[in-house]
Amino acid sequence: MNMLNAKTAGSMGSQPAQRPDFMSSLLLNRWIKGGIVAGPLIILMVGFLFIPLSYIVWGSLEGSKFNFSHYTRVFSSEINFNILLRTLHIGLIVTVISVTAAYPVAYLLTKLKAGALSTVSIFILIPLFTAFLIRTYAWMIILGREGIINNALIGLGFTSTPLPLLNTTFAVVVGMAHVFIPTAIFTMYSSMVRIDHEFARAAQILGAKPVQAFLRVYLPLTLPAVFSASILIFITAIGFYITPALLGGPSDTMISQLIVAQMTTLLNFELGYASSIVLLLVTICILFVASFFVPLEMIWSSSTAASSDEELRSGARLLRHLKRAIGPALLVTETVLHGATRPLLTHDARWLWAYTIVVLVFLTAPLIVVVILSFSSSPFVVFPPPGFSLQWWQKLANAKEWHQSFFFSVQLGIASAFVATIIGTMGAFWLVRTKFLFKRMLFLFSLSPLMVPVVIIATSLYVFEARLRILGTFGGLVMGHVLLSVPYVIVVMAAALRNFDESLEPAASVHGARPLQVLRYITLPILKPALLTAGLLAFLTSFDELLVGIFLLGRQTPTLPIKFWGDIKYQIDPLLSAASTLIVILVAASIITVQLVRARHNARTAVSTAE
Amino acid sequence: MSTSLEMQNIQKFYGPLHVVKDFNLHIKPGEFVTFLGPSGSGKTTALKMIAGFETLTSGDIFLGGQSIVDLPAYERGIGMVFQNYALFPHMTVAENVAFPLTVRKASRQEAGEKITRALHLVKMDQYKGRYPNQLSGGQQQRIALARAIVFNPSILLMDEPLGALDRHLREHMKIEIMRIQKELNMTVVFVTHDQDEALTMSDRIAVINEGRLAQVDDSRTLYGKPKNRFVASFVGESNMIPCRVDSVDNAAGRVTLAGAAPGLAQLSGQSKGDQGWIFIRPENVEISARSPSSDLPNTLDGVVESALFLGEMTRYLVRCGEETITVKRQNRGQPHFAGGTPVTVFWKAEDCTVLN
Repeated sequence: MNMLNAKTAGSMGSQPAQRPDFMSSLLLNRWIKGGIVAGPLIILMVGFLFIPLSYIVWGSLEGSKFNFSHYTRVFSSEINFNILLRTLHIGLIVTVISVTAAYPVAYLLTKLKAGALSTVSIFILIPLFTAFLIRTYAWMIILGREGIINNALIGLGFTSTPLPLLNTTFAVVVGMAHVFIPTAIFTMYSSMVRIDHEFARAAQILGAKPVQAFLRVYLPLTLPAVFSASILIFITAIGFYITPALLGGPSDTMISQLIVAQMTTLLNFELGYASSIVLLLVTICILFVASFFVPLEMIWSSSTAASSDEELRSGARLLRHLKRAIGPALLVTETVLHGATRPLLTHDARWLWAYTIVVLVFLTAPLIVVVILSFSSSPFVVFPPPGFSLQWWQKLANAKEWHQSFFFSVQLGIASAFVATIIGTMGAFWLVRTKFLFKRMLFLFSLSPLMVPVVIIATSLYVFEARLRILGTFGGLVMGHVLLSVPYVIVVMAAALRNFDESLEPAASVHGARPLQVLRYITLPILKPALLTAGLLAFLTSFDELLVGIFLLGRQTPTLPIKFWGDIKYQIDPLLSAASTLIVILVAASIITVQLVRARHNARTAVSTAE
Repeated sequence: MSTSLEMQNIQKFYGPLHVVKDFNLHIKPGEFVTFLGPSGSGKTTALKMIAGFETLTSGDIFLGGQSIVDLPAYERGIGMVFQNYALFPHMTVAENVAFPLTVRKASRQEAGEKITRALHLVKMDQYKGRYPNQLSGGQQQRIALARAIVFNPSILLMDEPLGALDRHLREHMKIEIMRIQKELNMTVVFVTHDQDEALTMSDRIAVINEGRLAQVDDSRTLYGKPKNRFVASFVGESNMIPCRVDSVDNAAGRVTLAGAAPGLAQLSGQSKGDQGWIFIRPENVEISARSPSSDLPNTLDGVVESALFLGEMTRYLVRCGEETITVKRQNRGQPHFAGGTPVTVFWKAEDCTVLN
């Protein structure tokens, strides 16, 4: 019976094919329809990702000369090789810190009721969607010579001269952890929320101590979530540009900075290409290894996670043997931990709450610092500010270039979000609704812009668009941003489509709705919240985007992030705080609006019935 | 409102899988026909072909004498109630019921009247402004029904509509659906795997097994005179005892039961020497304390294996040699036989039939 249902779902709407008029029969042909729906996505991926990447590969070899010397330079030059190692090193540290710090918070979130959950998640969502630049800027204020930390330490008499906190590895790690903790929380939460807490209760009623129930039942169930979050963070971290560039010192250079420097200032293109390819290969290797442990699509889209009855992956089998080997040690650890944690396990999870609040403060405090600083009376970045004044807001109100950048970014964001939502939604329909082989592969393929480090996408689009002579045009920039945001749209829309009750469309159709009426009255209205979310994500992706902008922008108005970037590097003053505050407020307002729309829609359409 | 439906020699293949075989069925206007079969028997596929969600591999379907196989679902003018109701979650009750009229661009006034009438018919007048998730399962069911009949469809299809309801509601909705069907004199095709639903509600029942129509008859005939072993065992409870036909006398015959005992039974076309199965309903089997052995036909000696008290009746399992006979007795003051009691079971010749 299931198979029969699946069959109908697959062929839904593509019914009797002997209609007289030509257009309809054309639309009813499964291949033609598939082509129309999938076409834009495939053109985007192949045309703006794979072909440009092949240009880079070709360029790194100096074309048909097959000259591998640039690769040799990446590995033999001690400076370059050290940069590569350092990148991996910092990436690893940041990953471990972010995931460890985020796990308890994600765990607490899974236990919360809807009301508390939405309150807490606002405190995580706002930092998550605040531009990397603004968050990094906040850390520059906090860690600076006259920042809060140094001022506090001096005030308390621990030290007499300011500590050099900024431009250190420490600063890079803190800044990046701040960037990735919200990501880690949400990635892990979205798969952890589907693990039933009854499992742990069942373990306890069967005699497991709380620690044992957690270590032996709950934790193992969450390991795929932890692992996929780690992979996501690691591959993003090693391609990261903004934070290391602004918070790190010269000895903290990461590989993205190397590539940007080669491409924009040193103009050593081949070495830039070769470094990009090395970074790309490292990323691909990591993903390849990871695919032995978790299904790759789970990394970006936890809703597609494989069902548990699937065969154990080879990697997981390896882990099982390992676990058996360390069994006795585990038992001792459990007993010790049980003794240690017993007083902490209160019924209201007080310690977990305390910890979560500390994390939330860590996540939001930098933003608050930025807001406070925007009202500073001092012309310098000093914290706490010596007095209150609106001078920076007045300056912002009169700063023509800021206004231009702002409106240009909004325009760009809307254009990119619009195009990305259409392409991504059509692609998601194609990926979810059609039956074909290699469906998983194609889903991964459509997420590939998330796997390729942004700096490489920027470099390759730069070369490619220069060839096409669309470099520096608005359209060229939009395409770059569309490429980066389409995967988010696909993830959101594919999840929504998978949850779509598949009997609704036949119900509409049998009661007389033509295919376009079904789309207008049923499909799109039900998908509205998902479309809004997808559009917002696409807009924010474009609105925050720096690297692609730097590479593809011509002599136009700089986008907001580029303007911001230029000013930060030139001189940091409280004007940036005022600008940041404004942006944070706008972003927060749009997130809250979308959340409210979703909540209203969900309250109405939730599947549950009022018995 | 009432239209005939004719299915002519319908075949459906999914690749090599033959899921619907040689369907030939004529449904009269105003008739309530149930497709009854186990899951995977092809009954839902047959329904989907009528609705237009599945194409036919071959054959033809006529609605009121017109072939509909080339029409897409939305031009067939059929009403349908889905298994999970498929109410549109983003529309109010009124909007849901209005949907078939909205997409047909009915005038506002006409639509208003029809919606009111449909909601009144299902007794849901007060719930117009609610959203589906604010309704109970039974109420959602009523709205789904109202939506399916609001535009005077030529025929109403129902795909296991009562499956999701609890027992009490199900009984209630059965009667409601029958009332509405009679009131509108609607042609209904109802799909279910539940024999009680089928027996209570239908004018005729089409029993489907492995894609084939096993028997199409009204409830009484189907229950009393099943044509084959599948129908006999799928509809109601039954005893099947292997037998051999010894002599034929009109439609009745002398048989040998379970290799030993003599018997008399109705025949369904068997001739002398044929092997078959005696079919007998548990409620038609009499049970009494073991009597001195006699040569009466259709009598077996056995021992009570279990006696289950079910309230209005007692259900005995009696072991007679190789065979276990199920006996159902109304509890009306007869003697009770505990487990282990030696008993004799017997039945009348007109209550049993030989099936192939």
